[in-house]
Amino acid sequence: MNGGPIKRRIFMRQHRWTHARLSDYLDGELSHRDEERVEQHTRICPECSRLLATLRGTLRELMGLHDEPLPSVADGVIERLRRSW
Amino acid sequence: MRLHADRLYAVVIRFGAPGGEAEEIVQETFVRAWRAIGRFKGESQFFTWLYRIAINEAKRHMTRRAAQLERVASDDMALESIGDRAPSPQLRAEHQDLRAALERAVRALPMDYRIPLVLRDIEGLSTAQAAAVMQLREPAFKSRLHRARLAVREAMEDYLDVEDQA
Ligand SMILES: [Zn+2]
Repeated sequence: MNGGPIKRRIFMRQHRWTHARLSDYLDGELSHRDEERVEQHTRICPECSRLLATLRGTLRELMGLHDEPLPSVADGVIERLRRSW
Repeated sequence: MRLHADRLYAVVIRFGAPGGEAEEIVQETFVRAWRAIGRFKGESQFFTWLYRIAINEAKRHMTRRAAQLERVASDDMALESIGDRAPSPQLRAEHQDLRAALERAVRALPMDYRIPLVLRDIEGLSTAQAAAVMQLREPAFKSRLHRARLAVREAMEDYLDVEDQA
């Protein structure tokens, strides 16, 4: 029998599984075994590999927003808070 | 005090509250926090609670004035004020574009997706802390976070390409 369609189905199953876990992978929240599964798939799947790279870049930029200068609450508000604090 | 208030102010603006309302929300949150301060054991419990109150206050404000929220203009001003105060030499111009696009992408997320992303990825809370703030189980929290990240990533794809080649 033809192995193609079966391989394809296995690939797609790995693809969906990996796609749903890329955030957990980047957050270091997967088991060692699952990490390897993600890495194995991203090596052979251009879509997941690109997704992983751009997701990583997105997270780096989002983290950078934390260090942007803070907007300032009006002095009057701070004064009122200090009085009630 | 000033630092905590400004930090919370930035968070509340990113939750989607227009500038003036964000100040009110910060004020109400701190007043409630002051009243309840005896109930908290550790600092982390206190901050979990502080964020939760801020979210509830923000949601309450937005429901009450949903129509006014539609006026994107005031929203824009509040968010851009974050970047405007940055000392921005010409060299950083491109990066400022990226940051502005990123803020827009975050703001475009529905509230239920925006909050997990702001808490986890911008404020740097752990998954456990951020899920606790939202009173969600971790799997539910993570699934929202992942979808929020994918949406922002998609909006940022062109910018990221430029970055990666540079
Ligand atoms: Zn894939």
